[in-house]
Amino acid sequence: MPNSRRLSNAASRRHLLLPYVLVAPAVAVLLALSIYPLIYSITVSLQVGDAWSIGNFTRLASDNFFLTAMAHTFVFAVAALSCEFLLGLGLALLLNSQIRGRGFFRATLLVPMMLPPVVAAIVWRLLLNPNFGAINGTLKEIGINTEALTWTASPSLAMMSVIAVDVWQWTPFVFLVLLAGLQAIPQEPYEAALIDGSSRWQTFWHVTLPLLKPAILIVLLLRTMDLLRVFDQIFILTEGGPGFATETISLYIYRSAFRFFDFGYAAAMSFVLLALTNVISVVYIRLLRNESRA
Amino acid sequence: MSRALKYLLLFLSLVAALAPVYWMVTISLKSEVDHFASPPPWFSFTPTLEHYYEAFVTRSFAQYLVTSAIVAVISTLCALILGTLAAYALARFRLPYELDRKLSLWILSTRMFPAIVTAVPLFLMMRDLRLLDTKASLIIVYTAFNLPFVVWMMRGFFDEVPRDLEEAALVDGDSRLGALVRVVLPLVAPGLAATAVFCLIVSWNEFLFALVLTQTDASMTLPVGIAGRVTQYEIKWGVMSAAGAVAIVPILVFAMAMQKYLVRGLSLGAVKG
Repeated sequence: MPNSRRLSNAASRRHLLLPYVLVAPAVAVLLALSIYPLIYSITVSLQVGDAWSIGNFTRLASDNFFLTAMAHTFVFAVAALSCEFLLGLGLALLLNSQIRGRGFFRATLLVPMMLPPVVAAIVWRLLLNPNFGAINGTLKEIGINTEALTWTASPSLAMMSVIAVDVWQWTPFVFLVLLAGLQAIPQEPYEAALIDGSSRWQTFWHVTLPLLKPAILIVLLLRTMDLLRVFDQIFILTEGGPGFATETISLYIYRSAFRFFDFGYAAAMSFVLLALTNVISVVYIRLLRNESRA
Repeated sequence: MSRALKYLLLFLSLVAALAPVYWMVTISLKSEVDHFASPPPWFSFTPTLEHYYEAFVTRSFAQYLVTSAIVAVISTLCALILGTLAAYALARFRLPYELDRKLSLWILSTRMFPAIVTAVPLFLMMRDLRLLDTKASLIIVYTAFNLPFVVWMMRGFFDEVPRDLEEAALVDGDSRLGALVRVVLPLVAPGLAATAVFCLIVSWNEFLFALVLTQTDASMTLPVGIAGRVTQYEIKWGVMSAAGAVAIVPILVFAMAMQKYLVRGLSLGAVKG
């Protein structure tokens, strides 16, 4: 390739500026609409009334609503992530075996994640409504007492309900990525394991899982980011209620900014969320990098 | 695991995935009496289009639908143009100080911000610019939101096109941009189409920014319109379901057409499936 390299060098010398001209508009848009808002947000968060102050940040530590919303966010994220991962992996393994109509199953199982989150939440409001929802109606029909099953209206069941809805909508995504990962694994390691006389469980543990690890890390990273910022479904399903039972950090920030018009405090909280998601993504990316080096 | 068990599990998953959506569609087609019927009529009911009529003729859902479409299409076009040019430069030129690699990562990182973090300052900025409650504000925000995705996806597709092809065009006297338009773009056209579809879906589904930036029927998108009906005092289940059912249709059509690229698009190109 020495010939073509010389050529491309000559070409790029002629157009030394061209790459910068091509990249500049995109960079400008992102500076104006991603970076500038962040800087703007910092200045907003550092003002209380008209004076500069770190009051918005010190207030965080003593605001029980904030701390509770953080705790809810963690519970929601950890529970939903675990369920989505286990179910998604199970489905991917199931579909990666000898199955007739694999394409059909794959396509149909993806439907939930295609829905606009708002519509997914509507779907579940219709199902979970304690009085005339299809779930309680059907349970009643088979003789189960549904009086205590008020789902999103019950302080104790509401969190479980919003987690279940997220699991319903996003397990397909985990499944899809893991299935692609499984299908990219070559046959040789399995043949070797077969010759070694490994059991199916050993093969899964020592061959499949290690080779699937990059796909697993990526899907966990993307899901974690989405779960920590969850807003749409909970807003429609419960608006954070009943009471404060399902209020996550994004909802509390929204409420502070757009119901109480306390923009400074909302901005301060959003930086905590940003810092948190950054730390977590750095951890994942480091794990991924170790993986690709190994 | 026995074959029968496998198919049983798959069948149950299928029911779990589809039954909820099916239920919403039936609600949209049932008269109000049937909404409150016990036991819930899963299959036998007399279909009616009254809720569709009410949503899209009596109420403003037709307008929300048009707004959603306008905002999604224009923002996708803007993001595609800006993003493809940047992606081409980042895929084809090695810049000093590894600037090309650093820029790519920085562009991707802007996509990782939780939406609520930028929603607060963007609301204040749009208020200062007097752009609140306009379609323009949504178009601007969605363009920026989709841009990192376009850059990242298209860079991957450009990387797959052998350089020799454009170099041949360059030797033939084409300019760089001429080679991009005449030689490279046709080769990445399927990737470009897939990327466009993903941007359309993201914009179509987006809720938080639309909720924050719009206030009246003039700029409301479909998700905000639907959500508005939920939080109202009297909930119109039929109307909401009819609007929801209509909102799903374009997404499903697009997604099924783009199956081949789904994994890649959804994982920002991190997994090629």
